[in-house]
Amino acid sequence: MSQTSTLNCVLGFTDTETVLLDLDDVSFRTARYWARRANRWFKLEGFLILKSSENHYHVVFNRRVSWSENMRIVAWVSLLSHNRGLVKWFIMQCIKQGSTLRVSPKVEKHSPRIVYREGIQDGRIREFLVERKLIKKIVSCISRIDFV
Amino acid sequence: MVKKIAVYGTFETTEHVKQRYWKVRKDGIKQRYWKKTTRTKKVVKKGRYEFHGSGKDLYKAVVKAQKIVPKGYIDIPAKDFLKNPRRYGEKGTWIESDIDS
Repeated sequence: MSQTSTLNCVLGFTDTETVLLDLDDVSFRTARYWARRANRWFKLEGFLILKSSENHYHVVFNRRVSWSENMRIVAWVSLLSHNRGLVKWFIMQCIKQGSTLRVSPKVEKHSPRIVYREGIQDGRIREFLVERKLIKKIVSCISRIDFV
Repeated sequence: MVKKIAVYGTFETTEHVKQRYWKVRKDGIKQRYWKKTTRTKKVVKKGRYEFHGSGKDLYKAVVKAQKIVPKGYIDIPAKDFLKNPRRYGEKGTWIESDIDS
């Protein structure tokens, strides 16, 4: 990974109106199951799954929600899925009042890549993808700059 | 559209060494005080910037943030950070670490 050699900090997407999930230590099928279940239960229109690393997935939902509804949905998934990583992530997001998902590469981890799409993708997903593109562009520009 | 980017991680910076000293008060109680010395030491800290603004401002702010590490948790418009980066951060270098979002 050439990008990580210059960029030691992590760049991520932060939002309060987009429902984001960070599922750790789960298979793709389990991640898709929880994404589908939340999508159906809260009528979130559609979702996008990104693979962060082996058995680590990020989920982005399409419908715009308020911050309280956002946290209600994440709390619902973390309570039912018993996923320790998600619970920890959920508490962290509550403290800083904004959900963040990593976009840039991290130590021994590539930037998350899209692995699955379902439902409508023209709402918050489209905005997430626009911002993801911008962050990736910034990362590639920074990796070309020699800071030393 | 206002975009928001998070820049976070672990970094190395320098801070003044604090020296402890004791002083006997008028009422006879010995009290502990701390004074900031001119000596500095290297410390490893965690911090985060939350930048919002246009694409161009965000790019400039992220480039600037490579050398100026945050003083804790900073949530500001990228334009304000570019005007006076030293107000929100200090000199330091980001180091590779496995940090959560």
